[in-house]
Amino acid sequence: MEQIGNMIGWETVKMVVGLVGVLVFVVLNALILTWAERKVAGHMQRRIGPKEVGPYGLIQPIADALKLLGKEILTPREVDKPLYYLAPMIIFVPVLVSFVVIPFDASLQVMDINVGILVILAFSSLSVFSILMAGWGSNNKYALIGAIRSIAQNIAYEIPLLLALLPIIMMTNSFSLKSIVEAQHGLWFVVYQPFAFLIYFIAGVAETNRTPFDLPEAESELVAGYHTEYSGMRFALFFLAEYTNIFIVSAIAVTFFLGGYQGPFLPGIIWFLLKSYLLVFVIMWLRWTYPRVRFDQLLNISWKALIPLSFINLLITGGLLKL
Amino acid sequence: MNMSWIENRFEENVIITSVDLALNWCRKSSIWPMTFGLACCAIEMMSTAMSRFDLDRFGAGVFRATPRQADLMIVSGTVTKKMAPVLVTLYEQMPSPKWVLAMGNCAISGGPFVFEGQYNVIEGVDLLVPVDVYVPGCPPRPEALLEGFLKLEEKITGKRRFPGPESRW
Amino acid sequence: MVERIKAELGATLKETPVGEADYRERGYHLFAEVASADLLNVARFFDERGFYLAALICVDYKEYLELVYIFSNHASLCKVKITLKIDPAKPVAPTISTVFDCAYWHEREIREFFGVSFDGHPNMTYLFLHEGIDFYPLRKEKIPVSDEDKKALGAFRPGEGEDTFFVNLGPQHPSTHGVLRVVLKMDGEYIEDAQPVLGYLHRMHEKMAENRSYLQFLPNTGRMDYLGPMAFNLGYVTAVERLCGIPVPDRANYVRVILTELNRLSSHLMWLGAYLADLGALTPFLFVFDDREEINDILEPVTGSRLTYCYFRFGGLYNDVDDAFVAGTRAFIERLRSRFSLYEKLVGGNVIFTNRTRGIGVITKERARKQAVSGPVLRGAGIPMDIRKSEPCAAYGEMDFDVPVGTRGDALDMYQVRIREMENALNIIEQALARLPEGPIMTEKAPRKLKPPKGDLYHTVETPRGELGIYIVSDESDKPYRMKWRVPSFSNLMIFPELAKGNLLADAVAILGSLDLVIPEIDR
Repeated sequence: MEQIGNMIGWETVKMVVGLVGVLVFVVLNALILTWAERKVAGHMQRRIGPKEVGPYGLIQPIADALKLLGKEILTPREVDKPLYYLAPMIIFVPVLVSFVVIPFDASLQVMDINVGILVILAFSSLSVFSILMAGWGSNNKYALIGAIRSIAQNIAYEIPLLLALLPIIMMTNSFSLKSIVEAQHGLWFVVYQPFAFLIYFIAGVAETNRTPFDLPEAESELVAGYHTEYSGMRFALFFLAEYTNIFIVSAIAVTFFLGGYQGPFLPGIIWFLLKSYLLVFVIMWLRWTYPRVRFDQLLNISWKALIPLSFINLLITGGLLKL
Repeated sequence: MNMSWIENRFEENVIITSVDLALNWCRKSSIWPMTFGLACCAIEMMSTAMSRFDLDRFGAGVFRATPRQADLMIVSGTVTKKMAPVLVTLYEQMPSPKWVLAMGNCAISGGPFVFEGQYNVIEGVDLLVPVDVYVPGCPPRPEALLEGFLKLEEKITGKRRFPGPESRW
Repeated sequence: MVERIKAELGATLKETPVGEADYRERGYHLFAEVASADLLNVARFFDERGFYLAALICVDYKEYLELVYIFSNHASLCKVKITLKIDPAKPVAPTISTVFDCAYWHEREIREFFGVSFDGHPNMTYLFLHEGIDFYPLRKEKIPVSDEDKKALGAFRPGEGEDTFFVNLGPQHPSTHGVLRVVLKMDGEYIEDAQPVLGYLHRMHEKMAENRSYLQFLPNTGRMDYLGPMAFNLGYVTAVERLCGIPVPDRANYVRVILTELNRLSSHLMWLGAYLADLGALTPFLFVFDDREEINDILEPVTGSRLTYCYFRFGGLYNDVDDAFVAGTRAFIERLRSRFSLYEKLVGGNVIFTNRTRGIGVITKERARKQAVSGPVLRGAGIPMDIRKSEPCAAYGEMDFDVPVGTRGDALDMYQVRIREMENALNIIEQALARLPEGPIMTEKAPRKLKPPKGDLYHTVETPRGELGIYIVSDESDKPYRMKWRVPSFSNLMIFPELAKGNLLADAVAILGSLDLVIPEIDR
């Protein structure tokens, strides 16, 4: 064991273990979130969600996943094969990379890169590519309209996302996620920057294509948006990516604004997961309460409301820091 | 792929694979219906998915709009000659394993719209696609649709989830 | 009003006499038979005086075909029936779609069901029937489709444009619209043209009516509009009672009013849920079904069904209501009143909802009249017409309620009008329950075998969607000779193409939802 460690290097071993842990967490998280979504939806709608499949329906997501695995692998005849096959694979890359830099606890971080948040933002822009590939490669009008809407929405909302995080970066003088969490030792940043938190949260919900911003998947208009032509395991990958994105958005909000893994009595990771899942619950709550925003109103909110507000916030923060 | 076709084909010392059992259990626990409401029965189908007769309890609450992601096509309502090609196209777009549930008298055999000289109603959706479960009624009550659902689950796995009325005597 | 129109119409028509009909027996005040050449003048005459084309009906009397035009007025009650006789061997008639836009689709329907071609009508593709049908269904004998008709009538095939592409909305819908297919010609996200294609649920109700006796046809009425079947039942039953002169006891009238208003509540609640599901909010859909289940709990012990009721009979009801019904209804009214505040907070006060519906799909009064829309759509556009007030049947004449009117004519107004109609329905039910008289529920004078006297009748009733018109031609046998159903959703859908033009796709869905369409009644 010592010899293997000396040959490869402990750093590599730590990274591999970390990556495996991240993969396990991603899968578990997706399972928990699909179950939670149906249960939360059920209870908000005055019914119980899945109940028969295992106690409290806990085995339901496993049944869903295995059923999707067992479906026929169907490729429609006219699709653009390279794009169609690659899209569900590529959508997972930004998700996994983002998990590498998120600090679950003071010592539970796969790798503490000193430009951590830049890595996350850069890779999440790449998810736009896979949506475009899915929409175009499906050779389907609805998929294409859904993909185009999704791209416009993603590009529009990345700017306020970044601008809302900049004040925090200015305050802590660092891009590394761990130092941002450590800097919240005294007081959480949400107290200093409530507007930035709200703007980031709204932009994050829009980035993950959730209601009220889920026009790309608008069921009553566009059948199912950009993943109309995907079935079986390929669809499961899109599904998984969406739920993991929700968790990442919440995790970054917690890291930047709500103190990360800090908290009394309980170990850091428990606090982190508690806070993240609380935000995930709020995101689900929004989905089952609000109708959809129309597309031009959606872009208007971003370009005419969120971006100017985040600029003003940035200027005020910069001014106050100088003084 | 319903019940294992190798069951009962060999002697007793050949056990059917437990993978088959597990897969069938997964398939029956997570049937995703496609929204294919045609007429009045569609309202009763929606009632079954709503709070009082919750269909999501059995794992079937996710109604997918696209046939590519659905397992079950609940044909609820009358099928006319104009709608028939659409129905067959949607059925063929669904990936296997797939099932069809004919809900209501119209889907079973044309319903109350069959009369001498009728020119537009297809007398039963099983003239177009293979049907697995028939649920009669005009419209069938939500409890009847739930029973049809449980019958479909029984067809997939061979075992019934709740005891039926006959097993009490 | 009637005298004035009679005088002016007589002056315009000169040779043909304008007859007066007994309104209580026939449902219209004046009638006249015109020649082909005069038809356009008569249409313009009525257009200038603010009438609307309530119905366009074709009847096949074997020696001749008769086109029946029923003109009606929003402001005061005056119905005029204009008839036109056509030679069955060469059925041609002039079109009035240049004057009244709603005639456009009515004439298409008559073309494919009867074979009457209209001079000057722009577009003649199949509206209801499928391609490949080789006879005219509603003619009394099987007459094959002529070759020139086969060329003119084809299935709808959209052509491709340079920068535009076609998107189908339906016929399989993820929402509750039913099988409506709208072919949208889109330029990016904007709609250039919208063409509905109907007929995916054409269940031949009118042909069945000719093959069934009056009582045997009663279950069909519940299946035409499955969200408001009581109103259709009420219309049919009161039409036949009017034709035969059967009196109805008071208790039956009051119970009919209570049940029809409960059904109106159920239908409007369903509309609310479905509209919000179209806009993306899925939770109110489930709350609404909760309320509907409560209504079903009250109605099921009395009527025996949950959805497609068939409860009224000629001369009364078939089952009496009991104290449990009265108590249950009173408790339900209390509960629903408290739920309205919940809906107001969840829906009406929701800024996303108001932004999605304000200013969308504005209907002006002039377009509403030309396209003959009715019901909450008409009232939302600003015209205060309610058939329960102008032509009351059952016990509506003794009820006290107001007519909610919208100011802007957009989708938000339709929402407000329907909410106020729900509150009115609660008030009407309370009044009717308070005044419910004792007595028999079925009259003794109802004949065993119903053979109405010879004649025709145009009877209207207010369904949750608008004006339902039933035109019955009876020839003294126990089966109707011709029964035409003028359904409100068909007329309301006619205004959709012009509203959708130039809007976004999301707006088109919002507009379609605000019209509250039920497809089986369009396709009949």
